[in-house]
Amino acid sequence: MATKQVRYEALVKALHADLYRYGYWLCHDKHIAEDLVQETFLRAWRALDSLKDEKAAKSWLITILRRENARRFERKRFEMSEYEEATITDVKATSNEQEIENYWLREKIAQMPEEYREPLVLQVIGGFSGEEIANILSLNKNTVMTRLFRARNQLKEAVDDEPKLRGLHNG
Amino acid sequence: MDDLQFRRSILADPKSRDDATNEAIKNDAAKQKFAHDVSALDDKIAQAMNIPVPDGLYDNLILRQTMASHQQQKRKTRVRLAMAASVAFVMGLTVNFMMFSHTYKNLGDYAIAHVNHEAAHFSNSAQPKVSLASLNEKMAAFKGSFDSTFGTLIFADYCRFDGSKSLHLVFQGKSSPVNVFILPDDEDITFVKDFANDELQGHSLNFNHSNVIVVGDKNEPIEQWQDRVKQNITWSI
Repeated sequence: MATKQVRYEALVKALHADLYRYGYWLCHDKHIAEDLVQETFLRAWRALDSLKDEKAAKSWLITILRRENARRFERKRFEMSEYEEATITDVKATSNEQEIENYWLREKIAQMPEEYREPLVLQVIGGFSGEEIANILSLNKNTVMTRLFRARNQLKEAVDDEPKLRGLHNG
Repeated sequence: MDDLQFRRSILADPKSRDDATNEAIKNDAAKQKFAHDVSALDDKIAQAMNIPVPDGLYDNLILRQTMASHQQQKRKTRVRLAMAASVAFVMGLTVNFMMFSHTYKNLGDYAIAHVNHEAAHFSNSAQPKVSLASLNEKMAAFKGSFDSTFGTLIFADYCRFDGSKSLHLVFQGKSSPVNVFILPDDEDITFVKDFANDELQGHSLNFNHSNVIVVGDKNEPIEQWQDRVKQNITWSI
Protein backbone atom coordinates (compact mmCIF):
# COMPACT_ATOMS: atom_id res chain seq x y z
CA MET A 1 0.00 0.00 0.00
CA ALA A 2 2.69 2.41 1.04
CA THR A 3 4.74 1.74 -2.06
CA LYS A 4 1.71 2.34 -4.23
CA GLN A 5 1.18 5.64 -2.47
CA VAL A 6 4.79 6.60 -3.00
CA ARG A 7 4.67 5.67 -6.69
CA TYR A 8 1.49 7.63 -7.11
CA GLU A 9 2.83 10.75 -5.43
CA ALA A 10 5.98 10.61 -7.50
CA LEU A 11 3.91 10.24 -10.63
CA VAL A 12 1.71 13.20 -9.74
CA LYS A 13 4.65 15.35 -8.84
CA ALA A 14 6.54 14.62 -12.03
CA LEU A 15 3.71 14.80 -14.51
CA HIS A 16 0.81 16.88 -13.23
CA ALA A 17 2.06 20.12 -14.80
CA ASP A 18 2.53 18.66 -18.26
CA LEU A 19 -0.75 16.87 -18.04
CA TYR A 20 -2.55 20.01 -16.97
CA ARG A 21 -1.05 21.96 -19.87
CA TYR A 22 -1.96 19.24 -22.29
CA GLY A 23 -5.49 19.21 -20.90
CA TYR A 24 -5.68 22.94 -21.19
CA TRP A 25 -4.78 22.86 -24.86
CA LEU A 26 -7.41 20.21 -25.43
CA CYS A 27 -10.28 22.15 -23.89
CA HIS A 28 -9.10 25.79 -23.52
CA ASP A 29 -10.57 26.03 -20.08
CA LYS A 30 -8.55 26.19 -16.90
CA HIS A 31 -11.26 24.65 -14.76
CA ILE A 32 -12.15 21.87 -17.15
CA ALA A 33 -8.46 21.16 -17.58
CA GLU A 34 -8.12 20.88 -13.80
CA ASP A 35 -11.12 18.54 -13.62
CA LEU A 36 -9.67 16.44 -16.41
CA VAL A 37 -6.38 16.14 -14.60
CA GLN A 38 -8.15 15.23 -11.34
CA GLU A 39 -10.21 12.58 -13.05
CA THR A 40 -7.19 11.26 -14.93
CA PHE A 41 -5.09 10.84 -11.81
CA LEU A 42 -7.96 9.24 -9.93
CA ARG A 43 -8.30 6.67 -12.67
CA ALA A 44 -4.56 6.30 -12.74
CA TRP A 45 -4.59 5.56 -9.00
CA ARG A 46 -7.16 2.82 -9.43
CA ALA A 47 -5.24 1.27 -12.30
CA LEU A 48 -1.76 1.99 -11.02
CA ASP A 49 -0.90 -1.68 -10.72
CA SER A 50 -1.38 -2.08 -14.45
CA LEU A 51 1.37 0.46 -15.13
CA LYS A 52 4.48 -1.71 -15.33
CA ASP A 53 6.88 0.56 -17.14
CA GLU A 54 7.41 3.92 -15.49
CA LYS A 55 8.80 5.27 -18.75
CA ALA A 56 5.42 4.75 -20.37
CA ALA A 57 3.67 6.65 -17.58
CA LYS A 58 3.40 9.92 -19.47
CA SER A 59 1.79 8.52 -22.58
CA TRP A 60 -0.37 6.26 -20.41
CA LEU A 61 -1.69 9.27 -18.49
CA ILE A 62 -2.19 11.25 -21.68
CA THR A 63 -4.21 8.39 -23.13
CA ILE A 64 -6.41 8.39 -20.03
CA LEU A 65 -6.82 12.15 -20.22
CA ARG A 66 -7.77 12.04 -23.88
CA ARG A 67 -10.37 9.41 -23.08
CA GLU A 68 -11.71 11.52 -20.24
CA ASN A 69 -11.90 14.48 -22.57
CA ALA A 70 -13.79 12.42 -25.12
CA ARG A 71 -16.26 11.33 -22.46
CA ARG A 72 -16.96 14.97 -21.78
CA PHE A 73 -18.28 15.22 -25.31
CA GLU A 74 -20.37 12.11 -24.95
CA ARG A 75 -22.11 13.74 -22.03
CA LYS A 76 -22.53 17.22 -23.48
CA ARG A 77 -22.37 16.95 -27.19
CA PHE A 78 -21.20 20.02 -29.11
CA GLU A 79 -21.34 22.28 -26.11
CA MET A 80 -17.59 22.71 -25.96
CA SER A 81 -16.70 21.85 -29.50
CA GLU A 82 -16.71 25.45 -30.70
CA TYR A 83 -13.76 27.42 -29.63
CA GLU A 84 -14.75 30.65 -27.96
CA GLU A 85 -12.22 33.39 -27.76
CA ALA A 86 -13.65 34.64 -24.50
CA THR A 87 -12.56 31.52 -22.69
CA ILE A 88 -8.92 32.18 -23.38
CA THR A 89 -7.73 34.07 -20.40
CA ASP A 90 -4.69 36.17 -20.03
CA VAL A 91 -3.10 34.34 -17.23
CA LYS A 92 -0.67 37.00 -16.15
CA ALA A 93 -1.57 40.47 -17.22
CA THR A 94 1.84 41.91 -16.66
CA SER A 95 2.28 44.11 -19.66
CA ASN A 96 5.78 43.17 -20.62
CA GLU A 97 6.59 42.42 -24.20
CA GLN A 98 7.07 38.72 -23.68
CA GLU A 99 3.69 38.24 -22.05
CA ILE A 100 1.90 40.08 -24.81
CA GLU A 101 3.63 37.95 -27.35
CA ASN A 102 2.75 34.81 -25.39
CA TYR A 103 -0.85 35.91 -25.20
CA TRP A 104 -0.97 36.55 -28.90
CA LEU A 105 0.63 33.25 -29.73
CA ARG A 106 -1.71 31.40 -27.35
CA GLU A 107 -4.66 32.75 -29.24
CA LYS A 108 -3.13 31.58 -32.49
CA ILE A 109 -2.46 28.14 -31.05
CA ALA A 110 -6.01 27.94 -29.74
CA GLN A 111 -7.41 28.89 -33.11
CA MET A 112 -5.51 26.17 -34.88
CA PRO A 113 -7.55 23.16 -35.92
CA GLU A 114 -7.58 20.52 -33.21
CA GLU A 115 -5.92 17.93 -35.44
CA TYR A 116 -2.88 20.18 -35.91
CA ARG A 117 -2.72 21.47 -32.39
CA GLU A 118 -2.80 18.18 -30.59
CA PRO A 119 0.33 16.65 -32.14
CA LEU A 120 2.11 19.97 -31.67
CA VAL A 121 1.22 20.08 -27.96
CA LEU A 122 2.37 16.49 -27.58
CA GLN A 123 5.64 17.30 -29.28
CA VAL A 124 6.42 20.58 -27.56
CA ILE A 125 5.04 19.94 -24.05
CA GLY A 126 5.17 16.17 -23.96
CA GLY A 127 8.52 15.89 -25.71
CA PHE A 128 7.29 12.88 -27.63
CA SER A 129 8.82 11.74 -30.90
CA GLY A 130 6.77 11.53 -34.07
CA GLU A 131 6.42 7.81 -33.59
CA GLU A 132 5.19 8.13 -30.01
CA ILE A 133 2.66 10.76 -31.02
CA ALA A 134 1.45 8.47 -33.78
CA ASN A 135 0.91 5.77 -31.15
CA ILE A 136 -0.96 8.00 -28.75
CA LEU A 137 -3.23 9.42 -31.43
CA SER A 138 -3.60 6.14 -33.31
CA LEU A 139 -2.38 7.70 -36.55
CA ASN A 140 0.47 6.72 -38.81
CA LYS A 141 3.75 8.51 -38.49
CA ASN A 142 3.61 10.27 -41.85
CA THR A 143 0.23 11.79 -41.02
CA VAL A 144 1.62 13.04 -37.74
CA MET A 145 4.69 14.57 -39.39
CA THR A 146 2.50 16.27 -42.00
CA ARG A 147 0.26 17.70 -39.32
CA LEU A 148 3.22 18.92 -37.31
CA PHE A 149 4.61 20.58 -40.40
CA ARG A 150 1.28 22.27 -41.16
CA ALA A 151 0.83 23.36 -37.57
CA ARG A 152 4.21 25.08 -37.43
CA ASN A 153 3.79 26.43 -40.89
CA GLN A 154 0.51 28.07 -39.91
CA LEU A 155 2.05 29.58 -36.83
CA LYS A 156 5.09 30.75 -38.77
CA GLU A 157 2.91 32.46 -41.32
CA ALA A 158 0.95 34.07 -38.55
CA VAL A 159 4.13 35.28 -36.88
CA ASP A 160 5.47 36.60 -40.15
CA ASP A 161 2.34 38.74 -40.38
CA GLU A 162 2.67 39.69 -36.76
CA PRO A 163 3.81 43.35 -36.94
CA LYS A 164 0.41 44.45 -38.25
CA LEU A 165 -1.39 42.60 -35.51
CA ARG A 166 1.03 43.77 -32.88
CA GLY A 167 0.06 47.30 -33.73
CA LEU A 168 -3.55 46.47 -33.07
CA HIS A 169 -2.75 44.92 -29.75
CA ASN A 170 -0.56 47.70 -28.52
CA GLY A 171 -2.69 50.47 -29.88
CA MET B 1 17.30 17.44 -50.54
CA ASP B 2 15.01 19.89 -52.23
CA ASP B 3 13.72 23.00 -50.55
CA LEU B 4 10.20 21.74 -49.84
CA GLN B 5 11.49 18.57 -48.26
CA PHE B 6 13.90 20.61 -46.18
CA ARG B 7 11.14 22.94 -44.99
CA ARG B 8 8.88 20.05 -44.16
CA SER B 9 11.53 18.31 -42.15
CA ILE B 10 12.48 21.44 -40.22
CA LEU B 11 8.91 22.48 -39.54
CA ALA B 12 7.78 19.02 -38.55
CA ASP B 13 10.50 18.57 -35.96
CA PRO B 14 13.00 21.41 -35.52
CA LYS B 15 14.74 19.74 -32.58
CA SER B 16 15.93 16.63 -34.33
CA ARG B 17 17.71 17.14 -37.59
CA ASP B 18 18.90 14.20 -39.57
CA ASP B 19 22.20 14.12 -41.41
CA ALA B 20 20.68 15.08 -44.75
CA THR B 21 19.15 18.18 -43.23
CA ASN B 22 22.38 19.16 -41.52
CA GLU B 23 24.23 18.69 -44.80
CA ALA B 24 21.73 20.90 -46.58
CA ILE B 25 22.04 23.66 -43.98
CA LYS B 26 25.82 23.75 -43.95
CA ASN B 27 26.35 25.55 -47.24
CA ASP B 28 23.15 27.52 -47.51
CA ALA B 29 22.72 30.79 -45.63
CA ALA B 30 19.01 31.02 -46.46
CA LYS B 31 18.37 27.58 -45.07
CA GLN B 32 20.40 28.42 -41.99
CA LYS B 33 18.25 31.46 -41.43
CA PHE B 34 15.09 29.44 -41.93
CA ALA B 35 16.21 26.80 -39.47
CA HIS B 36 17.15 29.48 -37.00
CA ASP B 37 13.79 31.25 -37.39
CA VAL B 38 11.84 28.06 -36.89
CA SER B 39 13.91 27.19 -33.87
CA ALA B 40 13.20 30.63 -32.40
CA LEU B 41 9.53 30.21 -33.20
CA ASP B 42 9.55 26.88 -31.49
CA ASP B 43 10.95 28.42 -28.34
CA LYS B 44 8.17 30.97 -28.45
CA ILE B 45 5.56 28.25 -28.97
CA ALA B 46 6.95 26.31 -26.06
CA GLN B 47 6.86 29.42 -23.93
CA ALA B 48 3.30 30.21 -24.97
CA MET B 49 2.12 26.68 -24.38
CA ASN B 50 3.73 26.60 -20.99
CA ILE B 51 0.72 28.07 -19.29
CA PRO B 52 1.03 28.37 -15.52
CA VAL B 53 -0.27 25.44 -13.52
CA PRO B 54 -2.76 26.45 -10.82
CA ASP B 55 -1.34 26.69 -7.33
CA GLY B 56 -2.12 23.70 -5.23
CA LEU B 57 -3.02 21.41 -8.12
CA TYR B 58 -0.48 18.92 -6.87
CA ASP B 59 -1.87 19.07 -3.34
CA ASN B 60 -5.42 18.75 -4.63
CA LEU B 61 -4.52 15.68 -6.62
CA ILE B 62 -2.97 14.01 -3.60
CA LEU B 63 -5.93 15.03 -1.46
CA ARG B 64 -8.50 13.68 -3.88
CA GLN B 65 -6.67 10.38 -4.08
CA THR B 66 -6.32 10.11 -0.31
CA MET B 67 -10.03 10.77 0.11
CA ALA B 68 -10.94 8.31 -2.60
CA SER B 69 -8.83 5.53 -1.15
CA HIS B 70 -10.19 6.33 2.31
CA GLN B 71 -13.73 5.92 0.97
CA GLN B 72 -12.67 2.66 -0.63
CA GLN B 73 -11.19 1.54 2.68
CA LYS B 74 -14.45 2.38 4.46
CA ARG B 75 -16.44 0.49 1.88
CA LYS B 76 -14.12 -2.49 2.35
CA THR B 77 -14.61 -2.31 6.12
CA ARG B 78 -18.37 -2.28 5.62
CA VAL B 79 -18.19 -5.25 3.32
CA ARG B 80 -16.01 -7.11 5.82
CA LEU B 81 -18.43 -6.28 8.62
CA ALA B 82 -21.36 -7.48 6.54
CA MET B 83 -19.51 -10.69 5.76
CA ALA B 84 -18.69 -11.27 9.43
CA ALA B 85 -22.33 -10.63 10.31
CA SER B 86 -23.49 -13.11 7.68
CA VAL B 87 -21.12 -15.75 8.95
CA ALA B 88 -22.30 -15.19 12.52
CA PHE B 89 -25.90 -15.35 11.37
CA VAL B 90 -25.38 -18.61 9.53
CA MET B 91 -23.54 -20.07 12.50
CA GLY B 92 -26.43 -19.04 14.73
CA LEU B 93 -28.88 -20.72 12.40
CA THR B 94 -26.78 -23.87 12.28
CA VAL B 95 -26.48 -24.08 16.05
CA ASN B 96 -30.19 -23.45 16.37
CA PHE B 97 -30.91 -26.14 13.85
CA MET B 98 -28.62 -28.63 15.54
CA MET B 99 -29.90 -27.96 19.05
CA PHE B 100 -33.60 -27.80 18.45
CA SER B 101 -34.25 -29.91 15.42
CA HIS B 102 -35.71 -33.35 15.70
CA THR B 103 -32.88 -35.71 16.29
CA TYR B 104 -34.91 -38.89 16.04
CA LYS B 105 -36.59 -39.99 12.89
CA ASN B 106 -39.67 -41.61 14.41
CA LEU B 107 -41.72 -41.86 17.57
CA GLY B 108 -40.38 -45.26 18.49
CA ASP B 109 -36.70 -44.34 18.48
CA TYR B 110 -37.37 -41.32 20.59
CA ALA B 111 -39.63 -43.14 23.03
CA ILE B 112 -36.98 -45.79 23.63
CA ALA B 113 -34.25 -43.20 24.02
CA HIS B 114 -36.40 -41.28 26.47
CA VAL B 115 -37.18 -44.33 28.54
CA ASN B 116 -33.53 -45.39 28.63
CA HIS B 117 -32.47 -41.93 29.62
CA GLU B 118 -34.84 -41.76 32.57
CA ALA B 119 -34.78 -45.43 33.55
CA ALA B 120 -32.52 -44.72 36.52
CA HIS B 121 -35.09 -42.37 38.08
CA PHE B 122 -37.88 -44.91 38.34
CA SER B 123 -37.90 -48.02 40.41
CA ASN B 124 -40.54 -50.65 39.91
CA SER B 125 -41.12 -50.92 43.63
CA ALA B 126 -41.74 -47.19 44.23
CA GLN B 127 -44.89 -46.26 46.08
CA PRO B 128 -47.77 -44.91 44.01
CA LYS B 129 -47.89 -41.15 44.51
CA VAL B 130 -50.27 -39.91 41.85
CA SER B 131 -54.04 -39.71 42.34
CA LEU B 132 -56.54 -39.99 39.52
CA ALA B 133 -57.62 -36.39 40.08
CA SER B 134 -54.12 -34.94 39.68
CA LEU B 135 -53.51 -37.22 36.68
CA ASN B 136 -56.67 -35.92 34.99
CA GLU B 137 -55.68 -32.34 35.79
CA LYS B 138 -52.54 -32.94 33.75
CA MET B 139 -54.44 -34.79 31.04
CA ALA B 140 -56.66 -31.76 30.54
CA ALA B 141 -53.85 -30.17 28.55
CA PHE B 142 -54.33 -32.93 25.98
CA LYS B 143 -58.11 -32.73 26.13
CA GLY B 144 -58.39 -36.19 27.59
CA SER B 145 -59.14 -37.88 30.90
CA PHE B 146 -58.92 -41.34 32.45
CA ASP B 147 -62.00 -42.97 33.92
CA SER B 148 -59.96 -44.96 36.42
CA THR B 149 -56.36 -45.77 37.11
CA PHE B 150 -55.67 -49.05 35.40
CA GLY B 151 -52.47 -49.92 37.23
CA THR B 152 -50.13 -48.64 39.86
CA LEU B 153 -49.15 -45.14 38.73
CA ILE B 154 -45.74 -44.18 40.09
CA PHE B 155 -45.15 -40.98 38.26
CA ALA B 156 -47.01 -38.54 36.00
CA ASP B 157 -45.61 -35.27 34.71
CA TYR B 158 -45.04 -33.23 31.61
CA CYS B 159 -41.97 -34.09 29.63
CA ARG B 160 -40.34 -32.71 26.54
CA PHE B 161 -40.85 -35.34 23.91
CA ASP B 162 -38.50 -34.36 21.09
CA GLY B 163 -39.46 -30.72 21.24
CA SER B 164 -43.15 -31.06 21.92
CA LYS B 165 -44.91 -31.07 25.26
CA SER B 166 -45.99 -34.52 26.39
CA LEU B 167 -47.32 -36.26 29.45
CA HIS B 168 -45.11 -39.03 30.75
CA LEU B 169 -46.79 -41.68 32.92
CA VAL B 170 -44.86 -44.43 34.67
CA PHE B 171 -46.74 -47.51 35.88
CA GLN B 172 -45.54 -50.41 37.92
CA GLY B 173 -44.92 -53.32 35.59
CA LYS B 174 -44.09 -56.97 36.08
CA SER B 175 -40.32 -56.63 36.27
CA SER B 176 -39.66 -53.00 35.28
CA PRO B 177 -41.75 -49.85 34.99
CA VAL B 178 -44.08 -49.39 32.03
CA ASN B 179 -43.99 -45.97 30.38
CA VAL B 180 -46.95 -44.28 28.72
CA PHE B 181 -46.48 -41.12 26.72
CA ILE B 182 -49.34 -38.92 25.67
CA LEU B 183 -48.30 -36.35 23.11
CA PRO B 184 -49.93 -34.14 20.50
CA ASP B 185 -49.98 -35.49 16.94
CA ASP B 186 -46.94 -33.84 15.42
CA GLU B 187 -46.23 -33.87 11.73
CA ASP B 188 -42.52 -33.40 12.24
CA ILE B 189 -41.97 -36.89 13.55
CA THR B 190 -43.02 -40.08 11.82
CA PHE B 191 -45.63 -42.22 13.47
CA VAL B 192 -44.67 -45.89 13.89
CA LYS B 193 -47.10 -48.43 15.22
CA ASP B 194 -44.72 -51.02 16.67
CA PHE B 195 -41.12 -50.69 17.66
CA ALA B 196 -38.59 -52.53 19.76
CA ASN B 197 -34.92 -52.84 20.61
CA ASP B 198 -33.04 -55.53 22.52
CA GLU B 199 -34.79 -54.95 25.84
CA LEU B 200 -37.72 -52.70 25.17
CA GLN B 201 -40.78 -52.90 22.99
CA GLY B 202 -43.51 -50.42 22.33
CA HIS B 203 -46.80 -49.74 20.62
CA SER B 204 -48.30 -46.47 19.47
CA LEU B 205 -51.93 -45.57 19.23
CA ASN B 206 -53.13 -42.68 17.20
CA PHE B 207 -56.23 -40.86 18.40
CA ASN B 208 -57.77 -37.79 16.79
CA HIS B 209 -55.19 -35.28 17.87
CA SER B 210 -52.92 -37.22 20.16
CA ASN B 211 -50.60 -40.19 20.11
CA VAL B 212 -50.41 -42.56 23.02
CA ILE B 213 -47.24 -44.60 23.22
CA VAL B 214 -46.70 -47.52 25.57
CA VAL B 215 -43.15 -48.71 26.19
CA GLY B 216 -42.16 -51.61 28.44
CA ASP B 217 -39.66 -54.43 28.60
CA LYS B 218 -40.05 -57.61 26.61
CA ASN B 219 -41.79 -59.45 29.47
CA GLU B 220 -44.56 -56.91 29.63
CA PRO B 221 -47.87 -57.62 27.87
CA ILE B 222 -47.84 -54.36 25.98
CA GLU B 223 -50.99 -55.23 24.02
CA GLN B 224 -52.80 -55.60 27.28
CA TRP B 225 -51.59 -52.24 28.54
CA GLN B 226 -52.66 -50.70 25.33
CA ASP B 227 -56.15 -52.12 25.64
CA ARG B 228 -56.38 -50.79 29.18
CA VAL B 229 -55.41 -47.34 28.03
CA LYS B 230 -57.90 -47.52 25.19
CA GLN B 231 -60.71 -48.54 27.48
CA ASN B 232 -60.07 -45.98 30.18
CA ILE B 233 -59.24 -42.90 28.20
CA THR B 234 -61.92 -40.43 27.15
CA TRP B 235 -61.18 -37.57 24.76
CA SER B 236 -63.06 -34.32 24.89
CA ILE B 237 -63.36 -31.89 22.06
